[in-house]
Amino acid sequence: MIVIAILIGCILGAIIGINAPVIPYTYSTFLAIAVVAALDSVFGGITSVLKKNFDLTIFITGFFCNSILSIALTYLGQRLNIDIYLAALVVFVGRMFTNLTIIRRYYVEKWVEKRAEKAKKAQEES
Amino acid sequence: MKIKMKKEKIVMAVTIGIACFALMLVMFMQFKVVRQTDITAIEDMRESDLRVELSEWNQKYEELNAQYEDVMSKISEYQTEQESDEKTAQLLETELEQLNEALGMTNVEGEGIIIVLEDKGGTQLSDGETVKSINIEDLLIIVNDLFAAGAEAISVNDQRIVAMSDIFNIGSGDNSFIRVNGERITSPYIIKAIGNQNYLESAVIGKGGRVDVLKGLGHEATIEKSNKKIEIEKYNGTISTKYLN
Repeated sequence: MIVIAILIGCILGAIIGINAPVIPYTYSTFLAIAVVAALDSVFGGITSVLKKNFDLTIFITGFFCNSILSIALTYLGQRLNIDIYLAALVVFVGRMFTNLTIIRRYYVEKWVEKRAEKAKKAQEES
Repeated sequence: MKIKMKKEKIVMAVTIGIACFALMLVMFMQFKVVRQTDITAIEDMRESDLRVELSEWNQKYEELNAQYEDVMSKISEYQTEQESDEKTAQLLETELEQLNEALGMTNVEGEGIIIVLEDKGGTQLSDGETVKSINIEDLLIIVNDLFAAGAEAISVNDQRIVAMSDIFNIGSGDNSFIRVNGERITSPYIIKAIGNQNYLESAVIGKGGRVDVLKGLGHEATIEKSNKKIEIEKYNGTISTKYLN
């Protein structure tokens, strides 16, 4: 069910996004940083699911608040004439890599365990 | 318990779906922006370079703007000049027309009189005297009187009287004839004059009026007044100057 919801959301978003009017180049920085923040939230969510401490409220609030806050920070940076969005980018992408590492480790360990189990079974059978 | 679980799951699915929707929406919008703004050259530049470039373009723009304004002012200048040229051309044309009229180079028509003199020279009168022919003096006096009365154009037997016209007598006695503008004319002498018809008429009739005098001598003379019908042809010859500078 969740997979279906994700698919529907992705397809709808893609269609509407393609047909949406082109926003000015000046504002594309905001959108980009929002995308990165949202992706960071997604990976964080996946990690928390794997760690079995996933909370929907925290995920959703993090998803939207991170995006909006990063946009606000970028705007502030433009006003102050300093590229704050770079800092946000570093933080988000860094966290994304950490989360990816955790996910990878989880699945690799699972896979290794399975193989070890299989080997054990084979040994027992023989 | 099971229903509650299901409800929670639905809420979760919907919220995650919304989140995915928002994410993909923003992502694709961004893709589109990046694809459409194909300004790699600008993207590769540093901000300071961009500033320099921008100021250069600004300067160029200002220069071009100044040039544009210059050209525009020149164009408007030319236009006003052209207009004034047209005006002077018109003025010159009307002036030329007036001069041509005054010189007798154009056919003119208007109010005036026609004097027809028939020479009865040589006929015997009752008292035994013969009538003297109309001579150039009579014509000269009539023409002069008409001009004095305000005639604007005069012709004698369709020879326009202009500045260089001559009324001249050639030969003597019975063999003499009158020449106007180098052309020989004979009786009847038709003198056309354009001007105020009453003034013109009164200049040649009455006491001392040459037409009446000629009538008294025995010639036939008629004066026709016309309101608008008189047509006087232009001077036929060419006005050539040799000694005028």
